[in-house]
This record gives sequence, structure tokens and C-alpha cells, in this order.
Amino acid sequence: MTLQQPHFVLLPAAVLAVAATLAQRQDGAPTLLFALAAGTALGLALQRARFCFYCHARDWFGQRDPRGLLAIVLALAVGLLGYTVVLGGWMPVATGGGLPPDMHIGPVSWVLALAGLVFGAGMVVSGSCISAHWYRLAEGSPVAPFALAGTALGFVAGFLTWNPLYSLAVADAPVVWLPHYLGHGGALLLQLGVLAALAAWLWRGFAVQASAPAAPAGVPPLGAAWRRLWRGRWSYWTGGLAVGLIGAFAIVRMKPLGVTATLGSAARAQAQAWDWIPLRLDGLDGFAGCATAPAQGAWAPHALLLLGLVAGAFIGALASRQFAPRWPRPGDAARGLAGGVLLGWGAMTGLGCTIGTLLSGIMAGALSGWVFGASMFFAIWAGLRLQARARRAAASA
Amino acid sequence: MTATSATFRALRRRWLGAPLLALAALGSAWAATPIPAGPLVSTEWLAQNLDNARLRLIEVSVNPGVYERAHIPGAVNFSWHNDLNDKVRRDIVGKEAFEALLSKAGVGPDTTVVLYGDTNNWFAAWGAWVFDIYGVKDVKLLDGGRKKWEAENRAQDNRAPSFASTAYKVARTSPELRARLADALAAAEGRNGARLVDIRSADEYSGKVFAPPGVPELAIRAGHIPSAVNVPWGQAVQADGTFKTPEELKKVYGAVGIDGSKPIITYCRIGERSSHTWFALKKLLGYDVRNYDGSWTEYGNAVGVPIDNPSGTVWAAK
Repeated sequence: MTLQQPHFVLLPAAVLAVAATLAQRQDGAPTLLFALAAGTALGLALQRARFCFYCHARDWFGQRDPRGLLAIVLALAVGLLGYTVVLGGWMPVATGGGLPPDMHIGPVSWVLALAGLVFGAGMVVSGSCISAHWYRLAEGSPVAPFALAGTALGFVAGFLTWNPLYSLAVADAPVVWLPHYLGHGGALLLQLGVLAALAAWLWRGFAVQASAPAAPAGVPPLGAAWRRLWRGRWSYWTGGLAVGLIGAFAIVRMKPLGVTATLGSAARAQAQAWDWIPLRLDGLDGFAGCATAPAQGAWAPHALLLLGLVAGAFIGALASRQFAPRWPRPGDAARGLAGGVLLGWGAMTGLGCTIGTLLSGIMAGALSGWVFGASMFFAIWAGLRLQARARRAAASA
Repeated sequence: MTATSATFRALRRRWLGAPLLALAALGSAWAATPIPAGPLVSTEWLAQNLDNARLRLIEVSVNPGVYERAHIPGAVNFSWHNDLNDKVRRDIVGKEAFEALLSKAGVGPDTTVVLYGDTNNWFAAWGAWVFDIYGVKDVKLLDGGRKKWEAENRAQDNRAPSFASTAYKVARTSPELRARLADALAAAEGRNGARLVDIRSADEYSGKVFAPPGVPELAIRAGHIPSAVNVPWGQAVQADGTFKTPEELKKVYGAVGIDGSKPIITYCRIGERSSHTWFALKKLLGYDVRNYDGSWTEYGNAVGVPIDNPSGTVWAAK
């Protein structure tokens, strides 16, 4: 494939340059430019380090390879530290009442757990979460475009079921911000403790893993170090570190990271224009999370974050010759669409996805992030077991 | 006077003036200049007087998270709906809560409060109206607000300052700054001689739309209070967001017969934008002005009151 030539990175780089030039002329240009830069860094890191929640979970559940999940734990720990520093300045007395502005702290009810389960199922069916589908576009994934289209449909399904679920459980659900009960320090210690325990538990995986080949001794020459950046994948932990840092930086300069706001608000606007969904979605826009309220024009920070993410992923994939497009088969389309619908419904109902609710939620000290994450990983575990059983049954038949 | 002596005097003035100017400039670098007398301070003055201990800078912005990310150094944050509004009743904050708020912000009897905020100071002006109702002595607005401060690329930081608490007591309240539904109705029916100023957009005033774009329709009738004149709030400011001069303001409002000869009531949709016009008419021109904070979301929903709806729109009718 000719597009695999590394010099094609000039294409996404040019897109970024044009976007940056145009963004400079908009209101709030500094925030827009930050969002574009943060998105680019995030996309590059996700692609190069293969920071994919589903792949990481599958590596663990399937092969007891803990490196991916440890990278997620690292991202959460780094982000948690950064958030605590920032939010400690924003609300010096966390126990005084009120929530820090914009943070993805959502209502905790069985609806949220259900959203996590459905989202996890969507990951198993489509082979990725939403953020990974975005970066997989840059690797030429035949499933990702269908999954993202399915996600938009899933959002519409979510809007359709929102009002009844809101009346049933969400309206009265507690919105739990851990620092409100434990103070900034207490919440940090508790959550770091849980992450440390998770890391210790995952570490057992190294015992069953074949030991990795020892790294060659000595420092490589600069040229070799540069070339190594664009070969294979970066180590798992670099992805976790990058995601944690970018997550913490984001709240200082823009709203918390989230990659469904743009798709969700576009789906909502279109579905409302077509009269598919109610014009009023009860209480929805009052919750912090990946907002789907109609954006104020195309120049929203989260749209530029997403543009940067996809362009950054393209730069990573092209520079590493990992852009390998394949013509989709009917199975790819079906898997993508079906999984996408589940992802979309889960992300809408859970007010965000692995990035917006799990990462940005846990980093902020939101119980909702933990609940969504726990049910999502449970669904992946169960889904993988079902898949394996089905495969065994098919093989023995 | 000969040409020579005039030249000599000019020269002497220059020679004497230069060191004096230099001294003054030097002085302003570490000694704060006096607090200006009027109801406004300029961004330029504020930038040079941020460390003035008699000054308390308070941000009242409508968008959450704006203050937290960056604000003018030393500014305290008051949330318009959590701090300055009653959380349960539709009302401004109660007296005790207001006293607690100011005490926590370290406002004393001799403190000069300067308010500023986002969206053209709308909510900061509304804050100034609340402060005036509670009789806070020396309340000023930063002319041009956040928008101008940012446009001029002036320094901001994200640290929340803390000040030694005071025991602020409200000495007197000025409920006469506030108009109620009955006052608006009396003005509509020509019973109290008050003039109504509707500061919403022309389309809201005419009844073409029930609410501005992106805002929920909270009134089930469109139009305006009978006899109100329409002067959208933006006509009170210049391109950079600063208020027009008193002379220009007199011209703008005089053109529709608002000249201060009769008491005035300003209103909008929820009473915030109209505070901005209230500030211009009351504080800059010194007219007798009340702000009707119930505004169209109260009047436009009230049963049996007369309204004027030139567009003839009917709510929820297709």
C-alpha cells in the first residue's frame, strides 16, 4: 500500500496546521489551540502505545498479561495526583459542599452500572471502546468506521430511553464526590490505595508470563532512539503516563477529557431535527460529563480535541507504517454497527465512555467513574468467557 | 507677553515637569494610586492597584469553571446562583447568608469592592445591584470586565486567595432598588408614572421569539410589558465592552424618552442583563431606577396581566 510511506505524515500534519491557523481566529483561541495540541499528543500516545482499554483487558483476561491494565492503573494514578493538585486549589475545602465545576462526577445508580455493562458488551462485540475506534481509524481498521456510525445510532437509542430512566432512577441518584466525604487528602489516599492493590493483584501476571528479553545494555545513538519511536509500539507504561498527564493538564486549560461529546451532540442535534427523540431530555444537561447539549458552533474545544486525536493517531500510524487499510467484509460492518450501538447507548446513558466517565471520573474522585469502570470490566470478562465458550462449542460441533 | 518669555516658561515647565512625572511614575510602581471616585474602574488602573489592601476584587461570572481556570490575581469567586441567589426560593440571597459571604471574603466597612465577570459583566452588574440592595458602601465595576482584561492580555492566575475573615454586618438595605410584579403592572397601566425599559433583543421585545437562541422558553407568552421601550443592553456599551460616556448614554436613552425625569424600571428575561442597564442609568447617570428581577419569566407567565405582542405569536401553537 503506497499510503504506508512515512512521508504521508505530512497530510495529517497539514490538516493540523490548517486547523490551528483557523482556530487562531476564533473566540477563545488559546483554549482551542490547547485542545488541538492536547488531542494530537493524546492520539499519538494512544496509537503508539496501543492504549486500548479492550485490548488491555483482553490481554489480562486471556493471557494474564498485566502490562496493559497496569498502564491504565498508572494513568489513573498520575491523573488522580494531578487532579488533586488542581482541584485542591479550586476548592480548598472539599468537605464544604458543592462540586468542582465541570468535573465528570455523575449520578450513581443501577442505570450507571447497566450503562457500564452495555458499554463493556459493546467493546467485546466491536473489538474496542470509542476512543480506540477513533485512533484505529488511523490504522485503517475496517470495523472502526462502522462502530463509530453505530455509536451515533446508540446515542439516539440512549436519548430515547433517557427520560424514563431519569424518572425511574437517575433523578434521585446520589452524585458522590469522594473528597466531599474524605477531604482531598483522604480521597487521594483511598483511591491510590485501591489502585495500588489492583496493581499488586495484576503484578501476579508477571509470574506466569515468560520473562521479557533483556534490553540491550548501553545507550542507543540518537538516530537509533528516534527510529525506535516509529517501530513496533511504545512500552505500555508510556501510554499510561501520557494519558494521565494529558488528563490532568486538560482540566487546567479546558474541560476534562472526553471523546464522545462531539459525536453525541451531533447525533442529538440531527435526531432532534428529524423529530426522532424528545426535544427535552430531563435533567441531562445539568449533569457534568460528556455534554451533548448543542455545541456553540464547530469550534468547540472538544471537537478540536477529537480532530487532534485522529490526526495525531494518523501521524503515529503513518510514521510507523501501521496504516494498513483493509476493505471491510460484511462481518466487520455487522460487528462494528452492533457493537457501536451498544457503545453509544452505554456512553450516552453513562454520560461518557472509558475516557469521559472512567478516566476523567476516577481522576476527579467521582464514585461514578469507579462504578462505570467496574461494571464495564465485568462485562468484558463475562463477554470474553461467552465468546470462548461459543468458540469451543463451534470447534467441537 | 513676549515670545521669548513664553518659550522660557514652556522650557521651565518641561524641565520641572519631567522629573515630577518620573517621580509620579516611580511612585505608582510601589504606592497605590487613590481609588477612583466613580462607579467604574478601568482595567489599566486595576492592573496597577491589584495589591491595594483596601480593595476587594470579586468575580461574578455566569459560566462555571471560568474563575477556577484563570482569574485576575487576588480575585474572590462568588457564584451567582449558589452564593448570590437563594437556593430554594426565587429570590436574591438572604441577609445573613450575604453577611457570611462578605465576611468570608474579608470585606470590611472600609473595603472598596470591585466586581467583574464574563459575558460583558452582566452578572457582575447584577451582583452590584445585589450589593447595593444590601447597602455595601463602595461598589464598583471593572469597566469592560473579563473580556477587556483578556483582550488586553493582562496577567491572570488560578490561585484562590484567602483573606482574614471579617464580621460584616449589613447596616441598611435598599429594597427601593428592586421592582416587583405589582410595580411593573402599575407602570404598564400608567398608575405609578414609571417608565419601563426592556433591554432584550428586538425579536424578544416584538414577540417573534419566546427566548434568545440557546435558552429555554421559560415564559408561555411572548412580547413585552405594555408601554416599555426597547433599548437592547448592548447599546450602553462601546465595541470593547466598556460603558459609553454619560453624554452618549443620555443620547441613547433620551432618544426613546428616558431622560431621568420619571422613575425607571429596567427588565429583561431573568433580571441579569437588565442589571447592566440598571447600572448605566442608576450609577452612571444618577437616574431613579429600579431593576425588575422577576422580569419576563415572571411577567410573561403571570395570569391576567396585559401584554403587548406585536408579532401575535402563540406559545406551543404550530
